[in-house]
Amino acid sequence: MKGLSPLCLLGALLVLLLGCQPHRPGGRLVVATSARVGSVDPVRASTFGATQLLSAVGDPLYRLAADGAVLPALAAELPRVSPDGLTVTIPLRRDVLFHDGTPFDAAAMVFSLERFLEIGTLSYLLNERLAAVRAAGPHLLELRLKRPTTVLPQLLSTINITPVSPRAYRDYGERALSDRFVGTGPYRLSFFSDQQQRLEPFDRYWGTPPRNDGIVLISLGNSTALYGAMRSGEVDVLLSTGLHEDHQQALQQQAGKGELREGLGPALEIGYLTLHTRQPPFNDPDLRQALAHSLDRERISERVSQGLRSPLRNLVPPAVSGAKRQIWPAYAPDKARRLFRQAGYCEGRQMELPLTFRSNIPSDRLMVLTWQAQLARDLGDCIVLQPNGMESTTVYRQLGEGAFPAVMLDWRGAVRDPEAYLFPLLSCSESVGDHCLQGESALSGSFWTAPGLQEDLLRSEGLVGSERLELLQAIERRTAAAAPYLPLWLVTPRAWAQRRLAPPRFDGNGRLLLQDLQLLP
Amino acid sequence: MSRRRALARYLAARLALVPVMLLLIASLVFLLLRVAPGDPVDAVLGTRAPEAARAALRSQLGLDQPLLLQYGHFLLNLLRGDLGESLNSQEPVSRIIGQSLPASLELGLTALLLAAVLGLAVGFSGIARPEGKLDLAGRLYGIGTYALPPFWAAMVVQLIFAVWLGWLPVGGRFPATLLPPQGSGFYLLDSLLSGLGGGNWQQLGGAVRHLVLPACTLALLLSGIFTNALRLNLRRALASDYVEAARSRGLSETRVVLRHALPNALLPVLTITGITVASLIGGALLIEVTYSWPGIAFRLQEAIGQRDYPLVQGIVVVVAALVVLVSVTVDILVAVLDPRIRF
Repeated sequence: MKGLSPLCLLGALLVLLLGCQPHRPGGRLVVATSARVGSVDPVRASTFGATQLLSAVGDPLYRLAADGAVLPALAAELPRVSPDGLTVTIPLRRDVLFHDGTPFDAAAMVFSLERFLEIGTLSYLLNERLAAVRAAGPHLLELRLKRPTTVLPQLLSTINITPVSPRAYRDYGERALSDRFVGTGPYRLSFFSDQQQRLEPFDRYWGTPPRNDGIVLISLGNSTALYGAMRSGEVDVLLSTGLHEDHQQALQQQAGKGELREGLGPALEIGYLTLHTRQPPFNDPDLRQALAHSLDRERISERVSQGLRSPLRNLVPPAVSGAKRQIWPAYAPDKARRLFRQAGYCEGRQMELPLTFRSNIPSDRLMVLTWQAQLARDLGDCIVLQPNGMESTTVYRQLGEGAFPAVMLDWRGAVRDPEAYLFPLLSCSESVGDHCLQGESALSGSFWTAPGLQEDLLRSEGLVGSERLELLQAIERRTAAAAPYLPLWLVTPRAWAQRRLAPPRFDGNGRLLLQDLQLLP
Repeated sequence: MSRRRALARYLAARLALVPVMLLLIASLVFLLLRVAPGDPVDAVLGTRAPEAARAALRSQLGLDQPLLLQYGHFLLNLLRGDLGESLNSQEPVSRIIGQSLPASLELGLTALLLAAVLGLAVGFSGIARPEGKLDLAGRLYGIGTYALPPFWAAMVVQLIFAVWLGWLPVGGRFPATLLPPQGSGFYLLDSLLSGLGGGNWQQLGGAVRHLVLPACTLALLLSGIFTNALRLNLRRALASDYVEAARSRGLSETRVVLRHALPNALLPVLTITGITVASLIGGALLIEVTYSWPGIAFRLQEAIGQRDYPLVQGIVVVVAALVVLVSVTVDILVAVLDPRIRF
């Protein structure tokens, strides 16, 4: 009987612990991601977690609908552009209050924009285009541009330029206010730590009020914890960022059975391979084509993500360009073999391809291993892939130094426009023939350009409408023919909610609409 | 020289070495960070930022200055007790450490306490019949728990008790639905005080529920060290002359073990406890990551990934200082307690 005492004690403790489950108050919902938020100041926010939080506590001048349409938010209407394209006036809403009760006006917008331009981590997004900003009237904002900019409304939908209360940020003109936020959004930030943020509905919000009684955003450090928290009901809504593919697959299956509700956002993130075109072997365009033909995207996507990632043969995601046709060379092992043969491989000579991947990103590793097996099966006598894992920070540092013959990366445009996908990969300020010496193309590790390509990119900035889109599509087709990059797949943001909630919805920038989350009646 | 004077000299020598060791560690981490590939500017701006923006940020962060100058600033600020600001959040490093160190200490000390109780109990249990079944089980337990891969054990425990059974939270330090208690940063203590003061025991329940899984997992992994240490030292003590002498005086076996063998066997365990505490302060990384426990090791891992130089340097210096402090304290304790120690 003596031995039972510790067991009884343990049992009592267990009952006590289980009985101590905290009650969940009213309609406050717990939303989980893997993203920790280091700073809630718009001038510092550059991570997914920070921008997701900001999108709930702040408003941009314009917002993007799920289909990418630009809609006024704090702006009263779309921008008015002068005939020379260099002056833009934006009428602002008059019924907006900051969370501290002060009114929002043009002066507050100027304060916030100038603060962002001065100390913003991502200020270069605007600095490249914006010459000056001023209040042309109490509720009229005027922007002077350095050059005509077609993507201005999309740029002004960036949550980083959400206005902040000049009164609350008076002492923070030159430094960040990381743990508080006073903006105009549908929620007030009532508690902030890097692992948890609490949002309360702002009862004087100018727009549609939130459909829930508040949100608690939490971050959990790994995929198993996130998945487990969703399964055990600890969290109400789970975002796919940071979730491993198998966990996403399991949640998708549960949603298919009606146990969870799934919401999908616009697929704006691409996965792609960069080939170093200034040095052998990929200075040979035929070998780049051969590699492009040897990539079985459907099979790889199926094996790596069980179809959650869509195979992609464009650099610009279809959700951005609206294009239906895929333009990169399709999987054709016969064509690949012919091209490898022409280059002197396959007949007793294998091409050794060192492929660098980011070892801290599980899908990269799976992709490389799957492709390695696929190549061994289809073209084993021509090419052998040598995986080379490296921590992502190291990869990024060495990319522009031309350290990698082939490397797997991903990219998400800063704005929802083809320009945001083509310029960062193709711009080149100094070149010799097809080789880029200075510029984005060199920084991205491909070092590829073509005569007249940079001029076409710059010319596209002065165009509008279909003429501009056609030029950008022509640039993309030209890139596809040279294949310095091999697009691989599209990543669709997803969210899952418990059954008692309505399906989650995303905005046009791929962020979850927290104010739309609601319990079903 | 009297024992007291010798002890004082020993103490002074140990303490005099502390700043030298800290300087060496601080210099080493400064140098290693700069030699390691990767750039904090990339971590903040991403790889596609224009060169002008990168240069501006580099200048803003002081990374464009000569390395020697950066090192000089670092040491000067360190002497003033200023650990700088995080490159990413611009928060003072001391504040970040102040927030995450209590989390690590709370987890580490709770785990250590549980590990000591469990490990010593298992180690002691087999002593009545050496090489008996209980002794063998204790030996296997000691080896098995010591050899368990921490991340695997943590994940299995998490899957069973949090995901499948749903008894305890999957991760984090506090329930999402409650506001964390204010005070020292030690949630157990703060929520206990809040409960005693205002009768709100929900916070304490939440803090305990979140602590149980990571602390028990860590305790399980550490307990084997105590088991093995106690078993070996107790057996050695029981075979020693002074124990034989005690037995020959007709003392009962219980008295021989408890009064004569155990205190002597526990002295080496004290040293091991010191080493374990030291390694726990910065070493519970896998447990912290698996359970999303916002401790110092979790922070360090994140800061290394972001190449947040001041934060990494600050954490390493503070952890090193604590490790040195604990080691010196244990050395002194052992020296005071064990008359056989010569200086």
